[in-house]
Amino acid sequence: MRAFFALWRREVHGLLVAPFVYLLLGFWFLLNGLMFTYLLTYEREVQQDLGLLAPYLFGSGLLVWLLLPTFPPLLTLRLLAEERRIGTLEPLLTAPIGDAAVVIAKYLAACVFFLIFWGGVAALFLLLAAFGAPLPWGTVAAGMCGALLCSLLFLATGLWASSWGGNLLLAAGGGAALNYLLLFLPVLFEHDEGWLGAVARAAHIPNMLDRGFSAGLIDSYAVTYFLALAALFVYLAWVRLVSRRWVP
Amino acid sequence: MPDGGFPVPQTASKMIRADRLTKRFGPLVAVQDLSFEVVPGEVLGFLGPNGAGKSTTLRILSGWWPASSGAASIAGHDLARDSLRARRQLGYLPESFMAAPELRVVEYLRFRARLKGLDRRTARTRLGAVAERLGLQERLRQPFGALSKGFRQRVGLADALLADPPALLLDEPFGGLDPLQRQDFRKLLRVLAAEGKAVLFSSHVLPEVEDVADRLIVLLHGRSAASGTLAELSAHLAREAPLRVRLAGGAEALEAALQEGGAAACRCALLSRRGQELWLRPEAEDAARRLFRWLAGRDAAVLEFGRAPVGLEEMFRHVIESGERAAAETVP
Repeated sequence: MRAFFALWRREVHGLLVAPFVYLLLGFWFLLNGLMFTYLLTYEREVQQDLGLLAPYLFGSGLLVWLLLPTFPPLLTLRLLAEERRIGTLEPLLTAPIGDAAVVIAKYLAACVFFLIFWGGVAALFLLLAAFGAPLPWGTVAAGMCGALLCSLLFLATGLWASSWGGNLLLAAGGGAALNYLLLFLPVLFEHDEGWLGAVARAAHIPNMLDRGFSAGLIDSYAVTYFLALAALFVYLAWVRLVSRRWVP
Repeated sequence: MPDGGFPVPQTASKMIRADRLTKRFGPLVAVQDLSFEVVPGEVLGFLGPNGAGKSTTLRILSGWWPASSGAASIAGHDLARDSLRARRQLGYLPESFMAAPELRVVEYLRFRARLKGLDRRTARTRLGAVAERLGLQERLRQPFGALSKGFRQRVGLADALLADPPALLLDEPFGGLDPLQRQDFRKLLRVLAAEGKAVLFSSHVLPEVEDVADRLIVLLHGRSAASGTLAELSAHLAREAPLRVRLAGGAEALEAALQEGGAAACRCALLSRRGQELWLRPEAEDAARRLFRWLAGRDAAVLEFGRAPVGLEEMFRHVIESGERAAAETVP
């Protein structure tokens, strides 16, 4: 476990000192802050019912569609692709630590770091509450729970894309493309009456976020869906790493 | 027990062991049937041209790749079945060693010490000792990316030595070093061997190998083309070294006679004539004796008769050329 925590700490530290990450954070906070201000200032519905902030910020609002699929792969590209590109993967994987521990430590570091992103959004709600606004905390907490689960999934796809090779563009672009596929494909096929429609409706992330979590409902199916899919992509990243050991 | 806290099995007299190692990449055979052992206190050098299989062998022994067939072990731990334990006994310096450029040397080495399982206190002690040994104290606060190639190699070696492992694998450790640094590295390898470590390293720099290694393996096309101590290899080669005959005159006539069957009778092959010098390659144990008699029989005015001096450079070239010739002859 010592090696595992050493790697996890280094990854968190690596993210904390990367200037690029602060650009991402700044952009994220700026857009969320602007959206938050806009909703409170111009959206009469939101002014009357503050519970509607949750679907906009954690559901299928513009920010979720724009930022959530693209930001996690930008964070995860450094986890494996960057190591491969600069040549530090070999010293890491020949150290006395298992490949699975490497993948999980790196993934968990990215997950913990992404909490800072959502922490900033949570701070906006706390600020609002500090001014005495009557916030429906249950709805906000459930909405944030959905956004966090979705982030876990998108970080896992990003990690998998990062394991493909040493090309950072491929790692970021591939991860974002995968995330958009996971978001859009179910929307495209949800009205199909056959099995494809059934699958699309079962994997409909915008519905899960909008009608489930952001409405204050924590659906165990959705929780399982996000966690299982995230585990699958982490597993695939591990498979990609150990594939070098497969004897031809 | 080393500071890393990992016990070395008492049976590990063969610290690094390869038994009929073979590595295939699709149709390409990178390493074939390679067997050797390195005992504690011994330095074994791998020599060979590019693509001979040196780095592939070291990567198999480091646990990066598995062998396609054969077995390898470090300190008695099989790399295929017990890779983690084997890697705990190992310090490995890859050919192009790199660390994250933004990390300070001390941060990197601290992280690597923890990764290798050292507790905080031991890590600090070992880091200090290794930095002092490799002259890194004044570079500890610098980012890795700001270091010269020579200091990067030192950081790589410091990383390999951190857990005080009993076995060391060093892939081209002299690459990019200036002459003084090379000298320091050579001394250090000898000291490490004297401390009981088993050292396996690869190099293209022949004089370095000649200076440091107790034994050599010359790799060619993934196979061991020659192996032994430098003295053994030189003695073996001395029997095959080119024969040089310096004459007072008449070299042209003798050359013609040799070409017309004289060389075959002496079991030699005529290599060249340079003025009044004839160069021949012996093709049998008694070739030198036969040639001498043949020359005496023709009343040749021989000023000097002997074998060309053999150094590691010549030996290396000879092994490579013989290997290439043998490979060409086996091609249908």
